[in-house]
Amino acid sequence: MKAKHYQELFAGRLKGDLTPAEDELLDRHLESCGACRQEFAGTQQLWADMGMIHVPASSPMLRADFDRMLSNYQQQTGQKTGWKTRITDLLQWRPQISFMWQLVIVMFSFAGGYLLFNAGKSEQKQQLTELSGQVHELKQTMMLAMLENSSASERIKAVSFTSEIKHADSKVITALLSTLNNDPNVNVRLSTLDALLKMAKKPEVREGLVQSITQQDSPMMQLAIAEAMLKLQETRSLKPLRQLLKQKNLDQLVRSKIKETINGLI
Amino acid sequence: MDTLSDNSIMLKVKVGNLQLLGLLFERHHRRLYGFLFHVTFHKETAEDMLQQVFYRMLKYRERFTGEGEFTHWMFAIARNVINDQGKRKKLPLHSGHIDDMADWVAGHTDLEEALNRKQNAANLQRAMMVLSDDDRMILSLSRFDELRNREIAEILGINENAVKVRVHRAMQQLKQIYLKRNVKEIIR
Repeated sequence: MKAKHYQELFAGRLKGDLTPAEDELLDRHLESCGACRQEFAGTQQLWADMGMIHVPASSPMLRADFDRMLSNYQQQTGQKTGWKTRITDLLQWRPQISFMWQLVIVMFSFAGGYLLFNAGKSEQKQQLTELSGQVHELKQTMMLAMLENSSASERIKAVSFTSEIKHADSKVITALLSTLNNDPNVNVRLSTLDALLKMAKKPEVREGLVQSITQQDSPMMQLAIAEAMLKLQETRSLKPLRQLLKQKNLDQLVRSKIKETINGLI
Repeated sequence: MDTLSDNSIMLKVKVGNLQLLGLLFERHHRRLYGFLFHVTFHKETAEDMLQQVFYRMLKYRERFTGEGEFTHWMFAIARNVINDQGKRKKLPLHSGHIDDMADWVAGHTDLEEALNRKQNAANLQRAMMVLSDDDRMILSLSRFDELRNREIAEILGINENAVKVRVHRAMQQLKQIYLKRNVKEIIR
């Protein structure tokens, strides 16, 4: 056995992960080899020093963020929230209203006051329609701004906002398709795919999804998008799916899923 | 409720009792955050990744078989999150938190010793930042989470012997970088 092989046992010794036979073997070698003794002392010191690395305390908001993520997920997937969570949420509610929402509330208050004191009924109706259009626009602007956020969980939140937008316009669809193809975070891309699937009736969404197939390099995304194509029975996806199959380094699981999808579409 | 094993809780989450994931979050988020911090050395990134790990647990709960330990599955998901982020965008490594140790130093009575320790810890952290994501991951699992090689092998999907060799190589590399940095500090 070479010195290198004994040295590979050092970390195991320091964390108590050696078998009795390995322990004995290492002890016998260290007794006779000065160089390895010195090397072991160095490793032992480094191991101890690593314990000095300071880990800053995590944010106290971590649990609240988790609860929000869980509740968003349940809403997205149609899972009902239990009454216990609803009560806990209510107790833990902290008013965290973003600037855009504040603006929406202020606009509502002003418009409401104006309508109450000044306008006639037909005028009220028209103004309410205008107001609801403006709120809708603001929601879209807010969602688009949040998609630019550096935090992935904020971007997921932005994507989940699309369920609140009744008629997503081309700006929103373009932003979502761009997120689907370019976001560095695979969870954001998966959520975006879910959001886009809900708008799959729109031809531009379907077209965008088909074009996105060859742009995905994560196996998870490739699986999800293949599944989506099968669900939508989108035959235009056959060509890009076959193109994916030509990739030599394609994950095996993805390969068989794509073959299955192609068979399902033919 | 605490008497329930992690695996049985996750199996309940798998069949739709999603709220129970909160219990697993309470049990494991500190450990997971520690692991992610030792790989990224960036508090906000580690916290963000932590939420992503739990999000993926929900999304891919069908894939949990209950055969291995829950924590191994959790670390394997964390490894994928790190790899996916690393592929798209280089992990943002910042040294900002190295300077956040004033409060830690204040707890020591011997100021000179405390400053030396602070400097060494800072040098070691910088040396770890030079390592690859894979090396930081394996060292974090081995040193900070004190997992056995058999467990690390299961998480990383490699054999036990390969873990032994990779931990050794990463330690050797770290030692070299760290010593170089300390020598530079002394010369300065």
